Amino acid sequence: MPAATNDVGTPASGPSSSTPGPANAPPSQKAMTKAERRELQERQRAAKAASKEQQPAGGSAPSRAQARPGPASASTPRRGPPPAINAPPRTPIAANGPQRGTPQRAGGSAGRRSSNAHDYQRTRASGDAASVAGGDDDPANRSRGLRIFLHFGLPKPKGHGIKGDIHPAIIRLGLQFSEFKICGANARCIATLTAFKTVIQDYVTPPNNTLSRHLMTHLSPQITHLVSARPMSVTMGNAIRQLKLEISDTDIDLPEQDAKDALCLKIDTYIRDRIIIADEVISELAGKKIKDGDVILTYARSSVVEKVLLRAHAEGKRFSVIVIDSRPMLEGKHLLKRLTSAPASSFPPTTMSCTYALLPALPSLISKVTTVILGAHSLHSNGALYSRAGTAMVAMLAKQHSVPVLVCCETYKFSEGIILDGFEKNELAPPLPQLRTSFPSTRPSSSLALEPKANLEILNPLYDLTPPSCVTAVVTEVGLIPPTSISSIPVALGRTVL
Amino acid sequence: MPVKTPVAEGAQQPLAKQADAAFDVYATYQKISADDELSIPLVAILTLAELIEKSHAGTMFELVKELHEGAAVLEKRSPNPISLNAGCQLFIAFVTLFPHDSASFSDLKTELVQQARRYAAEGLTYRKKIAELCLGFIKDDSVILTHSYSRVVMQTLLRAHQQKRISVYVTEARPRSLGNKTYEALTAAGIPCAVVLDSAVAYVMEKVDVVLVGSEAIVESGGLINAVGSNQIAIIAKAANKPFYAVAESYKFHRLFPLSQYDLPSHKPDILSFTNPLFNSKPLTADAEHEDGITPSDISNADIHKARSVPLSISQEDIYRNNPDVDYTRPDLISLVFSDVGSLTPEGVSQYLVGMFAG
Repeated sequence: MPAATNDVGTPASGPSSSTPGPANAPPSQKAMTKAERRELQERQRAAKAASKEQQPAGGSAPSRAQARPGPASASTPRRGPPPAINAPPRTPIAANGPQRGTPQRAGGSAGRRSSNAHDYQRTRASGDAASVAGGDDDPANRSRGLRIFLHFGLPKPKGHGIKGDIHPAIIRLGLQFSEFKICGANARCIATLTAFKTVIQDYVTPPNNTLSRHLMTHLSPQITHLVSARPMSVTMGNAIRQLKLEISDTDIDLPEQDAKDALCLKIDTYIRDRIIIADEVISELAGKKIKDGDVILTYARSSVVEKVLLRAHAEGKRFSVIVIDSRPMLEGKHLLKRLTSAPASSFPPTTMSCTYALLPALPSLISKVTTVILGAHSLHSNGALYSRAGTAMVAMLAKQHSVPVLVCCETYKFSEGIILDGFEKNELAPPLPQLRTSFPSTRPSSSLALEPKANLEILNPLYDLTPPSCVTAVVTEVGLIPPTSISSIPVALGRTVL
Repeated sequence: MPVKTPVAEGAQQPLAKQADAAFDVYATYQKISADDELSIPLVAILTLAELIEKSHAGTMFELVKELHEGAAVLEKRSPNPISLNAGCQLFIAFVTLFPHDSASFSDLKTELVQQARRYAAEGLTYRKKIAELCLGFIKDDSVILTHSYSRVVMQTLLRAHQQKRISVYVTEARPRSLGNKTYEALTAAGIPCAVVLDSAVAYVMEKVDVVLVGSEAIVESGGLINAVGSNQIAIIAKAANKPFYAVAESYKFHRLFPLSQYDLPSHKPDILSFTNPLFNSKPLTADAEHEDGITPSDISNADIHKARSVPLSISQEDIYRNNPDVDYTRPDLISLVFSDVGSLTPEGVSQYLVGMFAG
């Protein structure tokens, strides 16, 4: 216990005695970056706190330090090679506090995440140390390679803090999101909108307020909660933007219940028109491109692609499907299950013949393929496709072999922005133990799961970006469109909001 | 798909008869297409306008239904329906979107017919517009390669000849050998011209400055459907880094997205099908195109016996019958598309089409 006291206590007491670098040569406030200024501010505050703390007995120090983890951790980096690097996981978790806004310790299974956070803290620390003290210490060099991935959305711990007045339906949804129980872009959007319907129905406008002005302030924390569970998908963003528009357009004179019913109806219409009907049109249009004798290749699992294939099969087309899949999610197996269990089409009675292979086997299969059909998470206005990691490889290989690549994507998945690569914005896939991996193997799946160590970080980005040149056509509910013309669709449809 | 076609035909037969009884669409179509100046989409539009004139439909719904039926009849009876479909599609979209403010429905019908005739008359002036537009892209003393015969390309070349010195290579363009027609017309106009064998395009490409082809239809991908051979010219032009320009009136823009040559509406399974001497009598299925999982051990003596009846020589007619009329050129091979709405990049074409039909 005294050792721990030292660990936490020393950094807090440090700065007061020895303030390196900036203190010796104080730069002007203007020359400093925002982060540096904050750093300085916190250091000064910490120094003040520490000087106060030195007066009382050392016994109360740990609890004080934990109650005020911000200054303690922020001051660590300034001390050259900090003790936090080799410290037990306790320090990073305490340091973790200000980042998450939750002082609680993460659950036992969150080892990987806390180590991620640890890395974050450590690399930030080492980066700062490098700028101050030359940064020639080994651990910092070791983890430098990962710095470029630090901005990827990390999977959140299960019991992350619930702040404010969050509706139970949203809390439940947040858990489902963070555990990847609800995962696809369409599924997440539908689930969010359905939960918002409950929230809207349970909402009561406070006195001296109007629904059209107040409801959004009630919904904002709910949205924040969902985003804190998992970064918002483009589909959710588009749907929420539309919802905001509808709320602000609500007539003030409408009785509250009527207004709420009208909003719920609008949500239902949105789900029906933009997702369900759109999927039907897409499966019809894409189905026309499937002919007898075709070999269709798809990657991972997309609900739209599944509908396309099942519908074409039900129409009696005889084609075979290659499902390409990849770790860690292995979502293709769910698709495979659905496809192989599809009833034999009535005339002539044939079941769909399917092939399942992992991504490394793709080059040997691609030459047999007639069409590649892919799903989408979102589609950017330059026509770039943002989809499950691995999609870009499939599309590029297909282009190399002159196989047409169709992307099935509803127009509500269009994103106005442009991103240039998969690094700019991404998420990390959930760690393996959360997933049921049962790919045939002689060893138990748990032995395949790599555990992150001090010098081993496992990186599983969830998405990647396919350049528009690798996509032949995008199948939307308004027709087949080359990816280069995506930006003209909202204009052509006369929509300002996607 | 041999199994499904009879079913589809059976479904369309009553419609065709119904339309025939009132008004013979196809006969009208043939009568109008006798005018050599009119291109197929315009003929289709005029045919459908005539259909409206003769129609007894009392509501918009009925009228549009009749138009669809008429278009279906035309499509079925025409040997190459692509540019015809473009015209029908354009006109039906126009009718559906036409502002509905006439006093009575018969007034609306007359208005529609007038509009169609006006459009067709205006459509004839598009070629002149395109010729003017192209003029800036043809340099003095340049060598132009063109393919087959196209009215709009002819007009463009003749217009360019008035101001600039041009010489023209024209491909023979089998099977229809319309290149000869181009040669005759250009020589008569005093333009130096030479006919190139389809197989000699790569040979001549080095000397060419600009490739200029007409089109059957410009499709949504920004690609081009034209007389067979255009695709290989485009590929060779790309390989030689020569600009490949397509000229097309805007009524040839077609809402279609072919993914490959085999995805064209004009493709039939018997086009370029293999004659397998051992399986000559076996009906061809679509699967046979890709792989028939038959091993040599399956070949029975009877099959070998039958194989002797396969003729070992093949006539020109058989070759022509077995070959496609049109092919599809990918958008990335096309430099620019000149049309009456401006000179568009292939991406611009698809944006124009999206705006025209999605709105």
